[in-house]
Amino acid sequence: MKDKFTDKPTPEELQYSDLDRAGKHLVDRAVRKGFSRREVLKIMMATGVTYAAASNIFSSGQVAMAQTPKKGGSVRMASNLHGPDDQLDPTLFTSTIDYTRGRTIYNSLVQHSNDLTPQPELAEEFMPNGDATEWTFKIRKGVNFHDGSPLTADDVVYSMNRHLGEESTSVIKAVLSSVKEWKKTGEHECKAIMETPNADLPIVLGIFQTKIVKNGTTGEGNGTGPFTLESFEPGVKSVHKRNENYWREGANLDAIEITGITDPVARVNALIAGDMQLVTQIDGKAFRQVESADGVTLLSTPAALQMGICCLKNTLPGSNDDFVLGMKYIQDRERIVEKILKGKGSLGNDTPVSSAHGPDFCSELPQRAFDPDKAKFHFKKSGISSAEVFVAPVMSGIEDAVLLAQVNCSKIGFDLQVKKVPTDGYWGAVWMQEPVNVVSWNMRPTAQSQMAIQFGPGAAWNDTYWNNDRMGELLVSVLAETDPTKRHAMQCEMQTLIHEGSGMVIPAFSNINDGIADNIMGMPKVPLGQLGACEWPEFIWLA
Amino acid sequence: MMMQMVLRRIAIGFATLIVVSIIVFLATSILPGDVAQIILGQSATPETLAALRAELGMDLPAYMRYFAWLGNMASGDLGISKAGGATIASLIGGRFGNTMMMAGFVALISIPISIALGLWAAMHPGTWLDRSVTFCTLSLISVPEFFIATVLVLILAVELHWLPSTAYMTGDENFFQLMKALAMPLITLVIVVSAQMIRMTRAGILNVMNSPYIEMAILKGVPKGRIILRHAFFNAIGPIVNVIALNLAYLVSGVVIVETIFAYPGLAKLMIDGVQTRDLPLVQACAMIFCGTYVILILTADVASILSNPRLRQPK
Repeated sequence: MKDKFTDKPTPEELQYSDLDRAGKHLVDRAVRKGFSRREVLKIMMATGVTYAAASNIFSSGQVAMAQTPKKGGSVRMASNLHGPDDQLDPTLFTSTIDYTRGRTIYNSLVQHSNDLTPQPELAEEFMPNGDATEWTFKIRKGVNFHDGSPLTADDVVYSMNRHLGEESTSVIKAVLSSVKEWKKTGEHECKAIMETPNADLPIVLGIFQTKIVKNGTTGEGNGTGPFTLESFEPGVKSVHKRNENYWREGANLDAIEITGITDPVARVNALIAGDMQLVTQIDGKAFRQVESADGVTLLSTPAALQMGICCLKNTLPGSNDDFVLGMKYIQDRERIVEKILKGKGSLGNDTPVSSAHGPDFCSELPQRAFDPDKAKFHFKKSGISSAEVFVAPVMSGIEDAVLLAQVNCSKIGFDLQVKKVPTDGYWGAVWMQEPVNVVSWNMRPTAQSQMAIQFGPGAAWNDTYWNNDRMGELLVSVLAETDPTKRHAMQCEMQTLIHEGSGMVIPAFSNINDGIADNIMGMPKVPLGQLGACEWPEFIWLA
Repeated sequence: MMMQMVLRRIAIGFATLIVVSIIVFLATSILPGDVAQIILGQSATPETLAALRAELGMDLPAYMRYFAWLGNMASGDLGISKAGGATIASLIGGRFGNTMMMAGFVALISIPISIALGLWAAMHPGTWLDRSVTFCTLSLISVPEFFIATVLVLILAVELHWLPSTAYMTGDENFFQLMKALAMPLITLVIVVSAQMIRMTRAGILNVMNSPYIEMAILKGVPKGRIILRHAFFNAIGPIVNVIALNLAYLVSGVVIVETIFAYPGLAKLMIDGVQTRDLPLVQACAMIFCGTYVILILTADVASILSNPRLRQPK
């Protein structure tokens, strides 16, 4: 038997391949999670490896991770929600399982990269006219639907117009309302005629529901995407095979099976037991279990996944500004991020924009801190001594955050009652109805769109009924502004208006937390939804 | 006589189905939100809601929707899922098969085991064997099924990697692979339903054992085994068959927790999903299946107990 001590290479020569399984695992995880070189070295040196050896391992580990993609293999993915309402019609996509199927079967005009810049997909080129009142899209030639028919501008115009007009039932009708009409201007060219100028249109066109279907259909599983649909049973599973006639390089996996496991414990167990290779929505309680299990990784992507308490401004108590300020100051934000989100989140500053939105985030705006004295002052000034919050588990941790506020309120003599209601029916019966209620918002691709849907005067989902004229002006004019400094100043003004005046309390943003098997490589990190905003099917490969 | 009873019971069964369908319809209508609100969820706007309601025929008054459904049902058309657009028949088809398969396997394993163990315990009342059976069944009845299921998953799937943690079926597995996929929910359900049936069998037999004619048989010196199998068992069949029928009906309609934990696509979970999306035709179809199952199984149990007991065959 080899002596395992004398057989070891000297530290300076230590390479990634010399590490034992646990060591490799550690480096793999660190590299894959996108830890910086400095962070990885710190971790390794803490375990007693010298600096030279650590940096050696890090570089060779990175090489090991950056191998060229391999073809072949198949994976199973389990989403947290599914049921008989699973859809193949992109205009009605509402959950991660729909989005993922959409990404395997169809394509959009543009695609989001990890930093949310729009990349050409079915549109080879897209450009606005001078004042962004018209956008021209050049459609890629030589693209075929799975049934063999070629993609033309007719399909694009038809698909996009399904989101507009009176008859439309599209879930993103309000999001795309800046477009008046889509028009065909050539066999492979079309134009979006704008109602209001919008310089961010391509970014919005990368979202889940904008998939291109064949003219005259509702999708029905016939798209131009990287996988063909083999079978689809709503609420059970779907099977997808690689599209060998794809218009670009194409997927690495041979096949994908997409299913749902609604029970959070069962989902984690299925990941750890190896029955599923990708699962969405890991609960805070299961972080340790996933992190300590062999062969799986907790994928935590910083995002502006909003944890919010809406105080409706059109009724008491929210119409009283001091009540809202009291609610804002009583939030123990640090503790929510540390204890409730287990560190996998970031502080909220009572605006829907976070650093995940990039340069549009107003970092100059001072962070509002936990201040019971100020809260007490404002509650007292408001003359209100009790209020009731409607809470449903619409996102992980939101109930605990409200309970924490309840405890802190009771310490300063304010009676915050918590009314627990089920998620079932919440969006129709409670949200935007009860005076104080909780909300969660997925991250939207731009700061402007995030604020417009929620804080635009009269917007369909203005869930605190806070209507500010200045806000409305800025939301329109910022889209036409091309000077980055002026644009940032406008962004800051809007975020300050929301931070000071709106009825929205946003103590924290949650990361997106999913689990994947360790042998999955090339995982995208787009922060707009679970599992890299479901962009993975075309890009991942198995090591 | 018997025939008349069966026919009368079938007629009552149909009346029950109608009443249940009305109650389910009303109950689903009382829930907050309709299918359009649930489909559009957080993304709903008044315009898209109105457009979707019109598309789904939700703008008709409730009683008209009920009678439209009843008419279609009578002609064998289960309708179309409001939430997803698939036909109800296609949604139910595969899951009905899955539910029946699971219920069938569980029944095949648990009924013989339960009756054997129940008889065995009844033949030796008061011994350590009887006590341990009683102790085990009582403990298992008191433990909720999700707990049994979760413990089994932790041990057999997560720690030992012997069995898959979910009942995921690819559709092209052989019998052995199928059994492996279904093993966990099967074990859980067998444990849950057997405990109750064992206790009922034991109690039923012991109850009969106290009656004078058994005493007579004992005095005559009939061997104990013969007393139980020949004299007591047939008189205890009535309650035993009834508890078996109720457990079978539970296996068809009530195993939603086990289906959820093992992600097994069965009917009970489908009905819950239907309620959550306010998908009335789907909920109604499931309710009719469950109600029908109860009617048929209880009727069968009653017929069996009448046949096994000559006194019940003659009207008083």
